[in-house]
Order: sequence, then structure tokens, then C-alpha cells
Amino acid sequence: MGIKELLGLSDEDMVKPLPKPSKWSQPFWDNTKKHKLTLKKCKDCGHIDHPPYLYCTNCSSDNSEWVEASGKGKLVAYAVNTYMVPFPFWDDMPYVVAMIELEEGVRMISNIIEYNHNELKNGMALEVVFDDVSDEFTLPKWKPVKE
Amino acid sequence: MSKGEFAIIGTGEVPCGQYPERTEFEIAYEVARMAIKDAGIDKNDIGAVLCAQHIMGNDYNTEAVFGRFPEAIGAKNCKITCMTSSGGASSFSIRKTAEGILHSGETDTVLVIHAQRFSQFTTNEMAKYFAIAGSDIEWDIPYGITYNALAAMITQGYMNATGTTIEEIAAVCVACRKWACLQPNAAFGKKELTVEKVLSGQMVAWPLTVYMCNVLADGGSAFVMTTRKKAKKVCKKPVYLLSDASDYSHRGITSAKVRDMGHLASFLKPIADKAFERAGLGVKDMDIFEMYGSYPVIQLILLDSLGLAKPGESGKLVASGETSPGGKYPTTTNGEALSFGHTGTGVGFGMLVESVRQLQGKAGKAQVDGARFIIENTGGGAFMDNHFTILGNEIP
Repeated sequence: MGIKELLGLSDEDMVKPLPKPSKWSQPFWDNTKKHKLTLKKCKDCGHIDHPPYLYCTNCSSDNSEWVEASGKGKLVAYAVNTYMVPFPFWDDMPYVVAMIELEEGVRMISNIIEYNHNELKNGMALEVVFDDVSDEFTLPKWKPVKE
Repeated sequence: MSKGEFAIIGTGEVPCGQYPERTEFEIAYEVARMAIKDAGIDKNDIGAVLCAQHIMGNDYNTEAVFGRFPEAIGAKNCKITCMTSSGGASSFSIRKTAEGILHSGETDTVLVIHAQRFSQFTTNEMAKYFAIAGSDIEWDIPYGITYNALAAMITQGYMNATGTTIEEIAAVCVACRKWACLQPNAAFGKKELTVEKVLSGQMVAWPLTVYMCNVLADGGSAFVMTTRKKAKKVCKKPVYLLSDASDYSHRGITSAKVRDMGHLASFLKPIADKAFERAGLGVKDMDIFEMYGSYPVIQLILLDSLGLAKPGESGKLVASGETSPGGKYPTTTNGEALSFGHTGTGVGFGMLVESVRQLQGKAGKAQVDGARFIIENTGGGAFMDNHFTILGNEIP
């Protein structure tokens, strides 16, 4: 018996949460849909904010642009979820959640996919892959760079 | 606040655990009466009643901000009532609110109440709340992250950078459980743990087993705060707030001020240093270290920041037994979220109340003989901030 039947959960309980973009983050998700990883960069001071906010957190300017990231990063730290996860993720266990530092300096939480647990190592090179999780959303995920 | 300007003179606490029949209102009224009695004051002396937030408790929170509590406990001369919250750091922010009220001179007696009843919610309700509370709903949640995974990630990064072993991480749980076994109100105070038992538990978020993850529980506590002048008049052994220091880091862990996973204590150390300096005391003067970690690795990072061991080697200190009952550095003497139980915004209240009991010589089997000074901390969010406080039963 699956977790849904076991706990008498509804179909709605089993739907994976998707981002709820704000007006200042919408371009990020529009771009991932086109399989482009972009970051919000201030045109006045050059600061990159991720997560993005309404205005630059360094100089408070509204003057910004979305620049394409290299899609390269490194693994900072990770965990492997094996139990007590939100119900929509139950059937995915075990899965890796990780903190990734992009070449541009900002960090994000994501999943590592196409991995072998023994080869995961903090500091290792990763590259972005795009997971089209629904018609509306594409999540950037990461995989180890093959030598 | 100036050194020792304010004091805590009485505390109350109910047993922590699963008590579905005991409502959060019953807890609040009960701990209030206990704290007033323990302080030895008249309830009508109380001029302000401050309440902590009940996690997921819309009715309770509404009642609190609509002034239910002064009426229910019969505080006839109450002038001010409010709710103050900063999640896990609430015991600190509510205390600062109390200090402001006392400083204003409107009253010289403030009652602070915390109550939580998680057992009224279904697993699904709590899973939904905590799935989104700890992490960013837009940037983290779609990846299936959990609070436990966040702590697991910090644990993995810390172990990798410092060489701390998983046995040393487990030793924190063992030590907390030993203290909890000396506490009548602890949720998990019946049976000691061993490193082997902790490591053989169900893996929840590698490298954390179920024994390394805190458990939500019902509970509550209260305390009475007053000015130094009144404290000296009405209380035999007031506990003075000697100093504190604070810093804020982030909402999401990816924006943390300190980026090196091996040196997360470098965010905390300047805060501890400032608190010590303001009290005119040093780490060697501390008799007890009430560290609110909520996960074992956080306790180690906190201990790293105090300098009891070389940075990154606090795991060895804990494994040596020196932080356990009878050790040289009594740490987290109520067993904390890991073994006392996680009461929502109340973990910090529990540790503050325990600090006061220790300094008043009322800590029962957990009493550290002759304790004079304690360093205590609290923090909220997903490790968003930290506040160190130094308390003493004398003003140095």
C-alpha cells in the first residue's frame, strides 16, 4: 500500500509544490522554461541577487537586467532524504537535496540527479540540467560534470 | 539595558509530551499561576502580560492579541498585553519587549507566557506546515527539502570540513538525553541513549537518523520579569539579565552571511564575545552552557563559537562526557529540543526557564551545584539569527 492509501490522503495532497513567482521573480521562471538559467543583475552597481527581490539589495536600485548564468557550479553540501518527507515526494526517496554555488557566486537549493552516492563530494563540479516538471514550470537541477 | 537592570524572579512549566486532552489555554493559565506563585508576588502586581505565538494556533493567537490572558488569570491591574514572535528566537524578542515596558516605567512587573499543543493537529496538517515553514516556498520547497534535510546538509558540510565523526554527532543526542533523564517535565526522560542506538535508528535525512531529529511536542512555560529594585525587595534569589548580544544572518540558508561550512561558528563568535564583554565576564566564568541547537550539529557549532574546544573539535569535547551531567561544562541541562521536546516557539523559553531554575537552586536532580553564571542562546527561522544572553544570580 502506498503512502496515499495508508494515510487516506487526497489527490491534492500528493501534488508536488510548484514555485509561486512574484512579479520580480517571474522572468527567472519564464527563462528556465526556455532552458536558460538567468540571474537578476543590478545595472547600477553590478550586484547579483538570488533569490531576486523587488529592488537591488545592495544599492536599492530598480535598474536591473536578467543575465544568463554559465550553468556551472560546485557542490557546497548535501543531504539524502530517506524518510519523513512531504507526501508528494514519498515515492522519490531516496533523493538528494543540495546547496549549489554557481560560478557567478550566488547559491541555490536544488536536487542532484544522475548521481552515484559514492562519487558525491563537496566542492565537485556540477552543471545545470532542466527538468520540465509541468507545462508551466521547469526547475533547474544539477548533475556532476563527467570528466 | 544596563548590566543587571532587569531580573527574572519566578518560573512555571508543565510536562512536555503528547497531551491531547490538555488544551493550550489550560497550559497557558496553569504556567502563569505557577510562575506567579514561584515569584512570590500578588497577581495584581502584574502590569503587562506578554504571550508567545502558538505555532499553527489561529484561535490561541487571536485570543492572545484580543486580550484573553490578563482576564483569564485575573491580572486586575494589567495595563499592556501583546504577542511577540520571532519563531524559535521568541524567548529573546519577547524578553526585549518586556525590558522596554519595564524601562518605560509603566509597570515594574511583566508576566511572559508560552503554550503549545501540537497533538491537536493531524500528521498531514503538520507535514504541510513544516514543509513550508523552514524553507523558501518559491526557491527550496519545489525540490522536496525538509527542515531535517536542511540540518542534515549543515551536518554533512560541517563533518566534511572539520573531520567531526558521526559518532561525535550522536554523542550530542546521548548527552542531551542524560540531562533529560534528570528532568521531570522532559518528553523523553525515561531511558538513556547510547551512540550505537542513535546510529542504528531509522535514517531520515542522511547523515541524520531519527534520534538526531527533534520531535514536536505539547508544552509550555512562563516567567515573571521585573526591575532590579523590585527583584531585590520581593525575591530571595533573583536571576539578573547581565548582558546579551545579537545578530541576524538570513531567511534562506543560501543567503547566509558566513559561507564556509567549516566555520559557521564565525557568525556566532563575535556575538558571544560581545555578550561576554558587556557582562564583564569570560567563558571561564560560566558554570552552565544552555545551548539551543535543535539539531546536534548546531550545538557543536555553538560550542565552537564559545571556545571551550578548538574550532571544529567540540564533537570530541561532547564525546568525552564533559558536557554531560557531572562533566566540567554542563551543557543544555534540560535536554533541549532533542530530548526535552520541541514545543514550537517554546524551546528557547524552556532553556531560559531552566537557566533561572539552575541559578535559583531549584533545578532538582539536574542542579549544577553552586551555579552562578550561565550563557544561554536562542535563534529562530532556518538558523536565521542568534542571541546570546548571560544570566547570573549576582551582579559582578
